[in-house]
Amino acid sequence: MNRDIRTHSQEGPDVLDVNGLRKTYASAGRAVEAVHDLTFRLRAGELACLVGPSGCGKTTLLKCVAGLLAPTGGTVAVAGHPVHSPPPDMAVVFQEYGRSLFPWLTVRGNVELPLKEKRLPRARRNALVEEALEAVGLAASASSHPWELSGGMQQRVAIARAIAYEPRVLLMDEPFAAVDAQTRADLEDLVRGLWQRFDMTVLFVTHDIDEAVYLGQRVLVLSSAPTVVQDDIEIDLPEQRDQLTTRSAQRFTELRARVHGQIQQAKRAST
Amino acid sequence: MSTNPRSVSAPARALSFLARLLLLPALLVGVWWWAASGEGSFYLPTPGTVATTFGEVWLSERFLTDALPSIGLLLTGFALAAVLGVGAGVALGLSRTLRDLTEPVLEFLRAVPPPVLVPLLMLLVGLDSTMRVAVIASGCVWPVLLNTIEGVRSVDPVLSDTCRVYRIRGRRRLTTLVLRSASPQIMTGLRQALSIAVILMVISEMFASSSGLGFAVVQFQRGFAIPEMWTGIVLLGLLGVALSLLFGQVEKRVLSWHRGLRATARGG
Ligand SMILES: Nc1ncnc2c1ncn2[C@@H]1O[C@H](COP(=O)(O)OP(=O)(O)OP(=O)(O)O)[C@@H](O)[C@H]1O
Ligand SMILES: [Mg+2]
Repeated sequence: MNRDIRTHSQEGPDVLDVNGLRKTYASAGRAVEAVHDLTFRLRAGELACLVGPSGCGKTTLLKCVAGLLAPTGGTVAVAGHPVHSPPPDMAVVFQEYGRSLFPWLTVRGNVELPLKEKRLPRARRNALVEEALEAVGLAASASSHPWELSGGMQQRVAIARAIAYEPRVLLMDEPFAAVDAQTRADLEDLVRGLWQRFDMTVLFVTHDIDEAVYLGQRVLVLSSAPTVVQDDIEIDLPEQRDQLTTRSAQRFTELRARVHGQIQQAKRAST
Repeated sequence: MSTNPRSVSAPARALSFLARLLLLPALLVGVWWWAASGEGSFYLPTPGTVATTFGEVWLSERFLTDALPSIGLLLTGFALAAVLGVGAGVALGLSRTLRDLTEPVLEFLRAVPPPVLVPLLMLLVGLDSTMRVAVIASGCVWPVLLNTIEGVRSVDPVLSDTCRVYRIRGRRRLTTLVLRSASPQIMTGLRQALSIAVILMVISEMFASSSGLGFAVVQFQRGFAIPEMWTGIVLLGLLGVALSLLFGQVEKRVLSWHRGLRATARGG
């Protein structure tokens, strides 16, 4: 069906190609169709936000993209290769951030672990860990254990681990759900900063419409189950964004209203 | 806390702690003494008699010939069971096919009470220390095996996904994810195994041995050396306590993260 909802002007190969993705959970004699038919593409270096009602299949989509879940139908390709298992150079920040941290490792150990598996030399690992923890404001907690930290701090450890990994594709599943407004604003700017500095493609799942518009170059609105891409909105705000001016811009309000309208429509369609 | 801890001085607190710790043992020894000092107490010597006999019997060459070898066999059997139990438990925990294949056999073997293996192993491996190690290991491998399987199977799926995403596999996955996740259950299994090991050591020596702690107790009993027999029992009790304390220290180190996690989970 809607193979290319919107063609963006810029060049660049597709890093992520989701084509006719369908996922039905079969559990105890009952089949739950979480994702009906999803098609979209992300170009290299794009930052796209994914919004949609709770339970519409955002996490399911992300897991299929990450190669953690086999789709029932359709295909997912990352950098031109079909995904059957987690592709290299991809990092994921899970919605259950607390459970994704190893409780027997310190904060530093958690951030460093994937780098060890990458066989980076110690000096390079240390530098990356320092930098990542500094970036999320947790340098002082490096030798604490995750369970000694607050929920928001744990979430930042998971983010630090993802960015220290230097991924080409970064998937984030509602990564700022447990942080206060100020930290959240800082982390939003951090993600944009990192995305601009490193050549990453980012798919960012959020509930928050303002956040989606502020962060993204594109906002994909998902319908409620059975899920399809309801709308694909290009965010034509200037590249340099900051919390005060961007959020008070006329265009920001318009885009926000549009996303909001689409989500309302998505909810109405289901009821 | 409702009372101010500063209002009680440190030595006083230490004293009251000691008093609470030693009150019941002191009381029991008192009752023992009282019961033993009555008439017709041939089979029940007083604590004083047992204490002096203990010195004579065990602070001698006998400690080297009977106690130490027993402890050595006990630890060897336990270590063997730990290695086999954890190794097989990890393999079975990770593989559904392997579990299905082995389940009926494991259920049967687990149901066989380990002491009945003594006569069988006597025939198969003879009377020497190999037999005793085999009895100890074959009896106490089960709690380790079953708890390890359970621990490995209860690895958090989010952590497992995290490892997959960051491509952590092989040895590193085994040591940082599987074994660490399962360590609380593994330690539970090892603790159970340790007490079973002591029991099996004694039983195997009573039945089929010419040395060792269990043998000594039976020999004293047959020779009506009653106080000596009691000292053997006391020594076995002390051995159990010492092993348990030692194990507690190891457990404290290995599972410090687990206690911290549980404490914070309760707190918030
Ligand atoms: N393992 C599973 N087995 C069966 N059904 C599932 C499973 N995981 C998710 N679902 C169902 O699939 C649908 C989509 O779930 P998903 O977690 O992807 O939603 P979501 O958009 O991430 O929601 P939220 O915003 O609340 O995180 C839901 O109806 C959910 O009940
Ligand atoms: Mg979700």
